[in-house]
Amino acid sequence: MDPILWNDWHVVGDTAALLHGETFATALLGVALQIARAEDGSVGIVQSDGVPVLCDVRYGFIWACLGTPMQPIIDVPELAVEDMTAVIGGAVSVHASAGRAIENFLDLGHLGYVHAGYLGAEPETAVASYNVETLPGGGVLVTGCEVFQPNALMDNQGVMIGYSYKVERPLTAWFQKILLDSGTLVTTAYLFAQPVDEDHCVAHTLLLVPGSAYSAADIRGYQQLIFLQDKPILENQNPKRLPIGPRMEIPILADKTSIAYRRWLAQLGVTYGVVREAAGVPA
Amino acid sequence: MIASIGWHPVAASSDLPTGHVYQTQLEGQALAVWRSAEGEVNVWEDRCPHRGVRFSIGVAVGNELQCQYHAWRFASGSGACTHIPAHPTQKPAAVIRATIFPVIERGGLVWTRVAEDHSEGTVPLVRDGVVMRALPVNRPAATVEAALLAAELTGATFFVQPLAEGQSVIRGIARDEASLRTLDSALERLRRQLEADHAVI
Repeated sequence: MDPILWNDWHVVGDTAALLHGETFATALLGVALQIARAEDGSVGIVQSDGVPVLCDVRYGFIWACLGTPMQPIIDVPELAVEDMTAVIGGAVSVHASAGRAIENFLDLGHLGYVHAGYLGAEPETAVASYNVETLPGGGVLVTGCEVFQPNALMDNQGVMIGYSYKVERPLTAWFQKILLDSGTLVTTAYLFAQPVDEDHCVAHTLLLVPGSAYSAADIRGYQQLIFLQDKPILENQNPKRLPIGPRMEIPILADKTSIAYRRWLAQLGVTYGVVREAAGVPA
Repeated sequence: MIASIGWHPVAASSDLPTGHVYQTQLEGQALAVWRSAEGEVNVWEDRCPHRGVRFSIGVAVGNELQCQYHAWRFASGSGACTHIPAHPTQKPAAVIRATIFPVIERGGLVWTRVAEDHSEGTVPLVRDGVVMRALPVNRPAATVEAALLAAELTGATFFVQPLAEGQSVIRGIARDEASLRTLDSALERLRRQLEADHAVI
């Protein structure tokens, strides 16, 4: 088993969806799990043979680690910011690897088509050059992305948005959206992709919106609308696993983020839910 | 029944209305089949070379197929990428192209071959007639071909499309419209028999 993912923390559920006194079945890295919430609210996870799994409850999510955690659960500093509306966007099962879902979350080029009328629009589909760096502790930092969005604020007013992206853990992605002209923060979002098995994931999102102009239901509804536009794309990608070897899929300049993400996974030695070689394609 | 070597029908001409991308398989190879505005039929690997999305969820626009993910466009005939909206002023690199398969449209059916080692094969010369409803059968092509031969059905020429492991599609060209109902019923019985023989009880 892939030691990188095996020894990492993964979101496997959200506490709001788990009633006291009930159990919930899911899977992580191919291992069937039973999540139980006792009457006192405490959460426990066991494998099908009853062996307990390391678990924690944080940020409204239930986290599990099948091995020995190499790092603590990822920090969410935005939750400490005053007057921030934090919303869990729901859990969506996707018949695609977690890596494919993360890559899509980082992708600028599809906004004008898959999310036409919301996060992009023709003819403003050009992806301007942006910066990609390696984070000091490994991972990907992307800054300087500028995108026209026709309905980013749920008011049908087009605005120029600045995006930053960050990938600090293999299956967690972060972005921040600001209004380009004023620098005002619009949204911070996290995608925690739960690797159910190599070809399936559950996308868990956490949205952080400053102030209280939008209700939790509005934010959740918008997020689900957007994600359900992505789902059919993700489920029609072949292979289901993320190709991280060279010459397996053809990237362009606009895919700098994806190139850096795939390269980082390869460098880390991630093997689960990815493919390094296509049949007939030399590595 | 005519056994064709290498070449198989994978769609009916009538499966390809303007704008539509028809999805099928041949010998396990996923295929996207579509007709350009000028009438040219294309059989492509059902996979965009950029991010692996099935072409068959995309759309045919004029003489190009547009991928549903990033709206890259690919030219009918050559499969060459013609437009990348993320970089609208640049000409796409020549290496960016769809994987294409040879096509012959004959007798109201679209024929192709995906196996390299059948280069000697040809598309049979079929008489014009009425293209029958395609009938999928959950049995291997060889089994279906043998059953069709044994059935000695008259009034039509049949072809078996080997879809994937253990799956086939029977396609046929009937001599006239009047015999369609009888032939279709006969094929249905054949399918039920073949699938029942194999059913695990």
